[in-house]
Amino acid sequence: MNSMILRAGLAALLASTALPIWAQETAAPPAGDQAQIPSALPEAEDAEAAPPQQAPQIQPAQPTAEPEPQPDAAAPGEPAPDDLPAPEGAGQAEAPVPAPAERPAQAQAQVGSDWPFWGGNADATRYSPLSQITPENVDQLERAFVYRTGDMPMGDAEGKYAAETTPLKIGNQLVMCSAKNILISIDAATGEENWRYDPQVSNDAIPYSASCRGVSVYTAPDVPDGALCKSRVIEATIDARLIAVDLTTGDLCSDFGENGQIDLWQGIGEKVPGWYAVTAPPAIVRGVVITGAQVKDGQAEDAPSGVIRGYDAVTGEFVWAWDLGNPGEYGQPAEGETYTRGTPNMWTTAVADEELGYVYLPMGNSSVDYYGSNRSEHENQWATSLVALNALTGEPVWSFQTVRRDVWDYDLGSQPSLLDFEGTPAILLPSKQGDIYILDRTTGEPLVPVGEIEAPTKGSVEPDFLAKSQPISEWHTLRKDDLTERDMWGFTPIDQLWCRIQFRRASYEGFFTPPSADRPWIQYPGYNGGSDWGSVAVDTDRNILIANYNDVPNYNKLIPREKADEMGLRPINEKSPGESSGNNAEGAGDPQAGSPYAIDVNAGWRNTGTGVPCTRPPYGGIRAIDMTTGETIWDTPIGTARRNGPFGIPSYLPMKIGTPNNGGAVITASGLIFIGAATDNLFRAIDVETGETVWSDVLPAGAQANPIAYEVDGRDYVLIAATGHHFMETPIGDYIIAYRLPE
Amino acid sequence: MADATFHKSGWIRAGIPRTGGWRIATIVLAVVLGLFGIALLLGGIWLIALGGSWYYALAGAGLCITAWLLARQRRAALPFYVIVWLLTVVWAFWEVGTDWWAQVPRLVAPTVVLVLILLVLPALGRARNR
Repeated sequence: MNSMILRAGLAALLASTALPIWAQETAAPPAGDQAQIPSALPEAEDAEAAPPQQAPQIQPAQPTAEPEPQPDAAAPGEPAPDDLPAPEGAGQAEAPVPAPAERPAQAQAQVGSDWPFWGGNADATRYSPLSQITPENVDQLERAFVYRTGDMPMGDAEGKYAAETTPLKIGNQLVMCSAKNILISIDAATGEENWRYDPQVSNDAIPYSASCRGVSVYTAPDVPDGALCKSRVIEATIDARLIAVDLTTGDLCSDFGENGQIDLWQGIGEKVPGWYAVTAPPAIVRGVVITGAQVKDGQAEDAPSGVIRGYDAVTGEFVWAWDLGNPGEYGQPAEGETYTRGTPNMWTTAVADEELGYVYLPMGNSSVDYYGSNRSEHENQWATSLVALNALTGEPVWSFQTVRRDVWDYDLGSQPSLLDFEGTPAILLPSKQGDIYILDRTTGEPLVPVGEIEAPTKGSVEPDFLAKSQPISEWHTLRKDDLTERDMWGFTPIDQLWCRIQFRRASYEGFFTPPSADRPWIQYPGYNGGSDWGSVAVDTDRNILIANYNDVPNYNKLIPREKADEMGLRPINEKSPGESSGNNAEGAGDPQAGSPYAIDVNAGWRNTGTGVPCTRPPYGGIRAIDMTTGETIWDTPIGTARRNGPFGIPSYLPMKIGTPNNGGAVITASGLIFIGAATDNLFRAIDVETGETVWSDVLPAGAQANPIAYEVDGRDYVLIAATGHHFMETPIGDYIIAYRLPE
Repeated sequence: MADATFHKSGWIRAGIPRTGGWRIATIVLAVVLGLFGIALLLGGIWLIALGGSWYYALAGAGLCITAWLLARQRRAALPFYVIVWLLTVVWAFWEVGTDWWAQVPRLVAPTVVLVLILLVLPALGRARNR
């Protein structure tokens, strides 16, 4: 579910301290820092005058807000879930876990001239201190180069490409992975290719999409300077390999794993290509490379494990495995055994905390997303939670569950960001439901108010399984009000009427309406968010959070097993290789083998025949949020109607409509937001203060990728990949496009 | 005018095909509006039964009556439809105000229908005089 839809038509907590207080460690404050404060001050003052809303914040640890994973509906008689293991004392691990002292924290590369991490800096704030390109001169931007990776879909990979490429910039080079994991280094100023390494991934390994969101670079302190693989590029592939190559030559690191590679299928079980794939860059904490994997959704309860594993970044040696179904055990399974199957996985990008030695894992749901009665208590405990692990041992430290007993595929899709929140080392967590949480990094305790809402159970096929209440963020949510009949849309009264009839026939009790089989149910927001893998960006100087989001429902129905069999819905392991289609929307006819129901998802709730969405625009927006108050500063649809129209015919209308979007933003210290993401194929710059689009360029393909900012020889660049996205229905391409101001 | 077409040979060639063409256009418009009207009426009744908006059934009935008036070449089709259109506009703004994207399905097609009826108005005029 790392993807998206349709083309049609998108206080005063610092009352006592006027200065932004959390720009400290997260990003080096640029020279222009002081200049920005005047513009931030009036807002803080206004907020001061406002009626105080900060009362709840003074007691962050409200009883209802505790990240207890047990839902109210815990079935009697079942074993109580294990208490969260403490960092110490679980000590049963037989794994060769080095003592933490052996892995001291290392200094982390800073964002600025370089873009050393997928999320910009180690804190993943996507905030660049560069300031040469400003709202005043941005209209002069010109293309510095267009590089083409050459990785385009061939044969049965057609309709399955969504590269989602974001390079890193280190020194004078950009390093990236293509859709099918070709590692490439190009010159950051000219786009000339330095080297490439092709791991020869076969088409049948493509899970749902051929995606490789990024790579990670690790510089080994103990390897002598100038030696091969002193600095290494590490990627995880869709055919489940962890690969390390030398940063300067692209040669495989022979000291890593077996000649530079580790087979992640070890301990997973029967190798079914496409079922177990990695699309996210690994996290690296104190020399431990940590990865999860995407387990193709909706196939079967007996699916590959969602195990999280750590390997030594230099030797590739196995360090630990966190198999949530097997608490207290951090080693590899014995010969012939596997990690616990069907457990929640982490397909998106984790964030590393070098200082605390933790890795924060945005966990997804169990393999069968829309039916939960067969899940284990362990699955119920950890699914759809942010989990902090001790990165040196794999032991869980704390967890925070955003959905209890998730039957909506509300995986945590966004990479969380690390920041200092009112003096506390914090982690900011966006969710697909749109709720944004800020937690204490050391304890997982919420630092902003977390509320409870009653969750409907009417219409459910498993009302006893469902949680009776769910957490929400009272600090900020991107979620809009529940749908009403008048939100139904179309191009004429006739298709609008048909949508209204569908609305009235569906089971809909608002947010968290449970899955039903007797009639369709409306899930709003749908599985694409809210916030998805593009994540959010935080301007740590202005204290502004920038979040782009989707505003799209899904129209779903559970299909009883008998009917699913008639329809020929079979899991991936019962199909011949390559047979599993990738171009249908995710969840559109997934078997969920082992459970009594298959699932049919109409992603984006598009009308029969016309393909026009049943709900009115906008389908996506971008919002600026005041980090001190949690209040919206501005909010505007993102994406124009230029490529949208009935029956897929582009309208070329330049008006903003607000399209579905996938891919995050970069903020520069000069006050610009750069973002593609929408389905209009535009790369645009938005003024962070006003939300106004101040520049845009038409790209040759969809820009469903996170952009970056960097500098070479005194000139600032912004770069985006126009590689397209099959599910977002944007043209596929292999373009890496960099922009700079003329000399 | 109508008389002239029958008495002056010069008008016969130019006038009869023109009149025939307009009449055909009027019939086609009546049939199309009738089909849309029936769809809206039946779907609208379904929607009312489901507890939804009454607009569609009423608008469907209005469209059916307009189509019938057009088929009978009655000039009253215009003022009648203008009332349907005005009520549609009032309803549309009551539902979604100035959310212009949300107005697209509510206002565009009904307004196109109004323009089409205005276009065939001359044909209706002749028919009535005859």
